Amino acid sequence: MTETYEEKIEQLRLIIAKIEDGGTSLDESMKLYEQGAALVKQCETLLAGAEEKITTLSRDV
Amino acid sequence: MIILIDKRFVHNISFMDWFYRTEPPEAQEPKELSVLPDIPLTVGEVSGIIERLLDDRQLQEIRVQGEVTNYKHHARGHRYFSLSEKGGGSMAAVIKCVMWRSDAERLSFEPEDGLEVIITGSVRVYPPHGAYQIQVKEMTRGGAGEKYLLVERWRKELAAEGWFAIERKRPLPSFPTRVGVVTSETGAVIHDIRTVIARRYPVEIVISPTAVQGEDAHREIARAIERVAGHVDVVIVARGGGSFEDLFPFNHPDVVRAIAACPVPVVSAIGHEVDVTLADLAADMRAPTPSAAAELVVPDRKDLRLALRDLRCQLGGALLSRVSRAQDDIAALRDRLRPQRFCRKIGEKRQATVDLSDRLERSFSTRIERDRLMLAEMKTALEGRSPRAVLARGYCVVEKDGIVVKSVDALREDDRLNLRFYDGRSRVVVERVDHDGNL
Repeated sequence: MTETYEEKIEQLRLIIAKIEDGGTSLDESMKLYEQGAALVKQCETLLAGAEEKITTLSRDV
Repeated sequence: MIILIDKRFVHNISFMDWFYRTEPPEAQEPKELSVLPDIPLTVGEVSGIIERLLDDRQLQEIRVQGEVTNYKHHARGHRYFSLSEKGGGSMAAVIKCVMWRSDAERLSFEPEDGLEVIITGSVRVYPPHGAYQIQVKEMTRGGAGEKYLLVERWRKELAAEGWFAIERKRPLPSFPTRVGVVTSETGAVIHDIRTVIARRYPVEIVISPTAVQGEDAHREIARAIERVAGHVDVVIVARGGGSFEDLFPFNHPDVVRAIAACPVPVVSAIGHEVDVTLADLAADMRAPTPSAAAELVVPDRKDLRLALRDLRCQLGGALLSRVSRAQDDIAALRDRLRPQRFCRKIGEKRQATVDLSDRLERSFSTRIERDRLMLAEMKTALEGRSPRAVLARGYCVVEKDGIVVKSVDALREDDRLNLRFYDGRSRVVVERVDHDGNL
């Protein structure tokens, strides 16, 4: 889980807003949709890939 | 062992002038010390040296905490007691104390054996007993009471320095990559935090171990915070439940400042929910329990999945409605392709055509009517001139062999002729032919 997950979600929101916006052409909307679908997939991968890891710092440092 | 000492030194010692305020000592003339090395010091001289040695800043006007034992309230108003520190076996320590009446009168409470107190005073020697003791000037309740007051003082000081200000609070990162945990590396706290984070969203946990109670705990905690700060996106400072004493290090300004100075947001979860330490006040967010702190710092993967599913639906929905809007646009355009004006124009043309055809028809029929009338007239006129009309007036037409006979010359006797009357025919035979005379 990284900042990029957040960024991807943000991007996805922007894409949806753009498609919903009346000014975006149908052609452009289709392209945006494809980008959005790819982002969803990436986010799912990120969520599935998170793994627990434990590090213990030395007290002496 | 023989102690040699410069006599000038001994002269300068002011002998216990404090000690005999109520019972002034006999004037003790400092003896002339022999400069010879084999002459022994008097006891008083050594006692004086000891006193001088104890007249050290480290032992003057100091605050000492301990438990009151062997407490005696002297008839004259002086208080004699010992200050003890309970320790495991050899760790125990005791120091005798005296509090003169004039100071004891200012006591706000009556000390008793077993009471934890904090005294302010100086270590002095009492030569008559060959003992050192603390001459106590002030005494306050120690333990919790004193510590509460101390915490209160720290709270005021630290608040004045602005460490607890709301404006300082930072939002927690939504998606931390690494979570720092400052706590004891053994015990339930770290276990709880690990369990919650693993369940919600397994991220890297960086444990910065520290003692969480004891004399030096505040320094250790502060160091543990500083150590972990650079490696993580958010820090949890946690400790399980405990007494006020147990949680005391988390009130220490060292810990408060370490939290406030931490470059990443700090979530505190110290003791139970009812225990609010100064560390909690300095933290960017306070959680009621370590588990709750873990829930605060990482999102729940389940929620994220749900949110993602929603976004995916929205994405699909957005495209679908975009497509249907495009269809609507096409429909609108199609409608605009046959506009009213165009329709009206066609209507007008059609009307004009109809009118024209009407006119055409009408003009034709008038014309035909007129012609018919004319024809009738002409017919009448024509009929007036017809041979039949002449015949009707009493004439008849003579035909010989189908040819109309216009002259008598054409006739011979016994010619058979046809006579046509207006209402029939007759066949006759010529009897005689006469020409008019002048022919």
